[in-house]
Amino acid sequence: MSAPALPVVGRRLDTGLPTHVSVHKSGGRDLWSDPLESPPEDFVRATWDALGEVLDPEIPISLPELGLIYGVEFEDGVATVRLTYTATACPCMEFIREDITDRLLSESWIDSVRLVEVWDPPWTSDRITPEGREKLRRLGVSA
Amino acid sequence: MSAFLDLAGLDDRQEAALERLILTLADSKRLMGIRYSDWLLGAPSIETGISASSMAQDEWGHARLLYAMLKELGRDPVPVEHDRPAGEYASVAALDEEAPDWAALVATMVLADGAITSMLRSFASGTFESASNRVPKMLAEEEFHASLGAAWFRRLAETEGEARNLLLAAANAMLPGLVAWVGADDASARLMVDAGVIGPAEDRLADFRDSVRDLLALLDVDVDAVPADGEWDAARGRTPGHPGEEAVERARGDRNRALFVE
Repeated sequence: MSAPALPVVGRRLDTGLPTHVSVHKSGGRDLWSDPLESPPEDFVRATWDALGEVLDPEIPISLPELGLIYGVEFEDGVATVRLTYTATACPCMEFIREDITDRLLSESWIDSVRLVEVWDPPWTSDRITPEGREKLRRLGVSA
Repeated sequence: MSAFLDLAGLDDRQEAALERLILTLADSKRLMGIRYSDWLLGAPSIETGISASSMAQDEWGHARLLYAMLKELGRDPVPVEHDRPAGEYASVAALDEEAPDWAALVATMVLADGAITSMLRSFASGTFESASNRVPKMLAEEEFHASLGAAWFRRLAETEGEARNLLLAAANAMLPGLVAWVGADDASARLMVDAGVIGPAEDRLADFRDSVRDLLALLDVDVDAVPADGEWDAARGRTPGHPGEEAVERARGDRNRALFVE
C-alpha cells in the first residue's frame, strides 16, 4: 500500500515563498539552485549565497534572514559556518545542520563543511534582517 | 572577563571540582525539565500546561548544553546523560520528587528554578569560557520562567486558604536545601571560587535571596532567616538523597533506548 499523498496547496499566496515542501527532508530543498558550474571568485560570498537558500524548517525564511548565521570563513575547500539557534532546545537543530551541510556540499568547490555552534551573543528576534522581517510580515507574522 | 581559565593547567582536584559543578547544574536542569513535564497535563489551564511544556523544553536544551561542557574535560557526555543510576544524580534536592500539586510546582518554578538561575548567573560571569558563551542564552530564556513563576506565586500567595497554605508548605520544605545548594562552601566549591569559575558563596546567596525576597515576603517568609540544610554530600555537591528512579528512567530515555540517536 502506497503512502497517502500530501494534500496539494491550492491557494498560492504572492509572497515569494514556497507553497510546497519536500516530503523527505526539511522544507525548502526544492528551491535550491543548481550548483555553480565553476568555482566562484569570492568563496565566502558564494557560501553566503548558498546559505541564503537554506530555510529555517519552521519559519520559511532563510537562515541568514533569520539571523542565525554569525559568520562564514573559507579556506582550502573547507567552509566554516558559525551558526546559532533561536532557542537552546530548538527541535530543528539536526534538520538545520543537515540542510546546511547538504546544500554546501552540493557545490563542487566545497570539500567539507565545518559547523561551529555559537551562543554568544544570544539570538533574539532583533537579529532578523529587514528582508526577513518583510517576508514574515507578508505571512502575517510579526517579529 | 579578560582571562579565561586554562583548562590544560587544571590539577586533578580543580578538574574534579569543575566536573562536579557542571554536573550539579546539568542534572538540575534535566530534572527541572522532568518536573515541568509532570504538569503538561493537569495544570490549571491549557495555557499553563503549554507554558510547562515550553519550560520543560527550555530546561532540556539547557541541560544538553551543560552536559556538552564535559567534553572540554575529556569526558564523554553520552554515558553521563544516559547510563547513570539515580543515586549518582547531582541535581538539587528540591527536584527529587514530583510536585504534588500546582502550588508546589509554582514554588519549584520560583525557588528551585530561581536557585539554578542564580548559580548560572555566577557561572556565566566567571572564568570558564564555555559558560560565558553559552549561559547568557539560557538566562535570557529563564526570564520567561521567572516572569510566569512570579505571577503565579503572587496570585496564590494573595489568596486566603488552601492554595496559599500549599505554596507556603512547599516553599518551607525546599528552602533550606536550596540555601545549602546555592551557598555551597565546601572544598570543591571553594576551588571553583578561587579559580574564578563562580563567585563567592555569599554573593551567590545574596543573588538568590534578592531574587525571591519580595515574593517570599508575601508568605511572611524571611528568606534571610532561612538556615541552610545541615547535611551535605560533598561527592555530588548536594544535600543527601537522589531523584526517584522513575524520573531518572525518563531522563535517561530508558524506554526508547533501542531507538537512541545521538
